[in-house]
Amino acid sequence: MQSSSSAVTAPRMQWRRRVAIYGRLPVAIRWVLLLAMLIGLWQAYIQWKHPNPLQFVTPADTARAFVDGWQDGSLASATQATLRLLGIGMAIGTGMAILLTAFATFTRVGDDLLGLLTAMINPLPGVAILPLALLWFGLNERAIIFVIANAVTWPIAINLSTGFKTVNPTIVAVARNVGLRGVRLVTDVLAPAALPHAVSGLRTAWAFGWRTIVAAELVFGVAGDKGGLGWLLNDARFNLETERVFAALVNIMLIGIALDIVFLLVERWTVVRWGMKTARRSLLVPPG
Amino acid sequence: MSVIRHRSPLPSRDRMSLSRSRAPNRRRGLLGRRDGDARPEASGSDLRTPLLEVERVRLGYWLPGGFSEAVADVSFDVKSREKIVVIGPSGCGKSTLLKAIAGFIAPAGGSIRLAGRETLSPGPDRAVVFQEFDQLFPWRTVLGNVAYPLRVNGVSRREATTTARSFLELTGLGGALDRYPHQLSGGMKQRVAIARALALEPLLLLMDEPFGSLDALTRARLQRELNEIVARTSVTVFFVTHSIDEALVVGDRVVVLGNAPSTIKEVVDVRDVGTPDSPAYAERRRHLRRLLAAEGEEVDEDAVFV
Repeated sequence: MQSSSSAVTAPRMQWRRRVAIYGRLPVAIRWVLLLAMLIGLWQAYIQWKHPNPLQFVTPADTARAFVDGWQDGSLASATQATLRLLGIGMAIGTGMAILLTAFATFTRVGDDLLGLLTAMINPLPGVAILPLALLWFGLNERAIIFVIANAVTWPIAINLSTGFKTVNPTIVAVARNVGLRGVRLVTDVLAPAALPHAVSGLRTAWAFGWRTIVAAELVFGVAGDKGGLGWLLNDARFNLETERVFAALVNIMLIGIALDIVFLLVERWTVVRWGMKTARRSLLVPPG
Repeated sequence: MSVIRHRSPLPSRDRMSLSRSRAPNRRRGLLGRRDGDARPEASGSDLRTPLLEVERVRLGYWLPGGFSEAVADVSFDVKSREKIVVIGPSGCGKSTLLKAIAGFIAPAGGSIRLAGRETLSPGPDRAVVFQEFDQLFPWRTVLGNVAYPLRVNGVSRREATTTARSFLELTGLGGALDRYPHQLSGGMKQRVAIARALALEPLLLLMDEPFGSLDALTRARLQRELNEIVARTSVTVFFVTHSIDEALVVGDRVVVLGNAPSTIKEVVDVRDVGTPDSPAYAERRRHLRRLLAAEGEEVDEDAVFV
C-alpha cells in the first residue's frame, strides 16, 4: 500500500508519520518538548523585538531572579507567609464546612440554609469580600484569613453534604447490620464513603483559596503591609524589578502545581486505590 | 473442616455478650459441631422451640398517598439449622419481610421473634447478604471487609484476622485477601459478603436474592457452594429468591407468597427432592410453578439453573 502512494502525497505521509512518532512519546517528554518550545519562543521574541527590559525580561533573568529570591530568603519568606495564611484560612473554613454539613445532614432547615447560602455566596469572587473584611478587621492578616475562610467554606460544605447525602444505602444497611451505631457509624462508614466528594471539595477549595489569597495580598500590598507572594509581586512592580515580578509569578505557578500534585497523590492513595473514583489524568504525575 | 477446627477454641463468651439477642447455649452447640449433618434433627432439646417465629406479621410502607401494604398477614416458624426459602411474585413483599426480620423496618402488625426475643433493631445475630455487589466496604480489603465487623463486635484484632481468613478460605477466597472489592468479579464479591456474614456467627443468615445479579453459571456454582458451606457451619438460613430452581436447590422448605398485600399460599417441603433430574424435583418444581402461575407470575425459567 505504502509503495503505491503518489509523489504528491508523500510529504504529507511523512508529516503524518512524524506526528505519530510524537504521539508515541512518553507524556513527560512531550511536555518537556513543548515547554522548551515555549521558552524558546519567549527568548526569540526578546532576541528579535528587543522589548523594554522594564516590561519583559529573558527566561534566564527570570530563572536567576527565582534562584536569587530563594537564596536570599525573600521568595521563601513570602511563600511561607502566604501558605501560613492559606493554611489557617483553610483550617477555619474546613471547620465551618463540617459544622454546616452536620447541621445540613441532620436538619431540614440546615439543609435549606446551606443550599441558600452556597447559592448566594459561591458566585461571589472570594476577593470581593476583602473591602468588607478590611472594614471589619482593619488592615491586618485577620482580614485576609477571613476572606480565605469564606472562599473555601462553600465548596467544601457543598461537596461534603453531597457526599453524605449520596452514600450508598446498601453500605449503610450493612454497617447497621454488623452492629455499627452513632458516632462510629459516621467515622467508620459514612466518612470514608463520602471521601471522594470530600477530597474533591478540598481540592476545589484549595484552588479557590490560592487564587483568592494572591489577589487579596496584592490589594493588601497596595495598602502597605509586608508579607506574602501577592505583596512581593506588587513590591517588585513598584521598584521596577521586572525579573522579580516574573520570578514571583513562576513561583506562584510552581506552588500551585505542587499542591495540586499533593491532592492528586492523596486521591490515588485513597479513593482511586479503592475504586471509588477513576484516576484523574495528569501530565505531571505518571499513572500507576 | 479446617474452619471448624480453627474456631472451636474461640472464647465465644466474649463475643456473645456483645450481641444483644443471642441465645448462649445454642452458640456453643454450633461451634462444637462437626461438619456434615446440617439437617435439623428432632433430638436436640434446643431445637424444639423454633429459632424464628413470624406471627401474623403485617408490613408496608408509608407513601404520600397513605399506607401501602406489602405483606398482609404472614405467620411461619423457622427451626434452627433449617433453610427456609421465600418465593413469590415481584412486589409481593418477600424482601420487605427479610428487612423486617433484619430489623430495618418495624412490622405494622404482629411480631417477629428470634430465639424468643422480639427483634427491634438490626444486629449481627441476623447477618444479611444483599443482592447488590456494592455491599462491601470499598476502602477495605477482602480480609478487612470480613475482619472489620468482628472488630466492631469486640473481637481482638488477631482473632478477627484469623477468623476472617478461615471463613474466606471456606468461601474459596484464600488467594484474594489483599484485594480491594473493585478488583473482584461479582461472584467473588458475593462470596466475600457470605464470608462476612458467616464470620459473625449469626443465629440466622438472611440472604436477599444474593445471586440475583450473577450470570447463570456463577449462580449455579454459588448455590452449590452455599449448600456445602451451610452444611459445614450448620447455620440457619432465610433465603429470598424469585427463582423456583434456586428455591429447590437451596431450600429445605419453601414459603410461597401471593400477590401484595400477600399472605402465605403454601409452605412446600423440598427437603428430599434430590438432583434436578430426579422425578421428585420435577414434581415439586411443577407444583411451585403452578402456585406462582396462579398469581399471574411469568414463569419462564426453563432449565436455566441446573
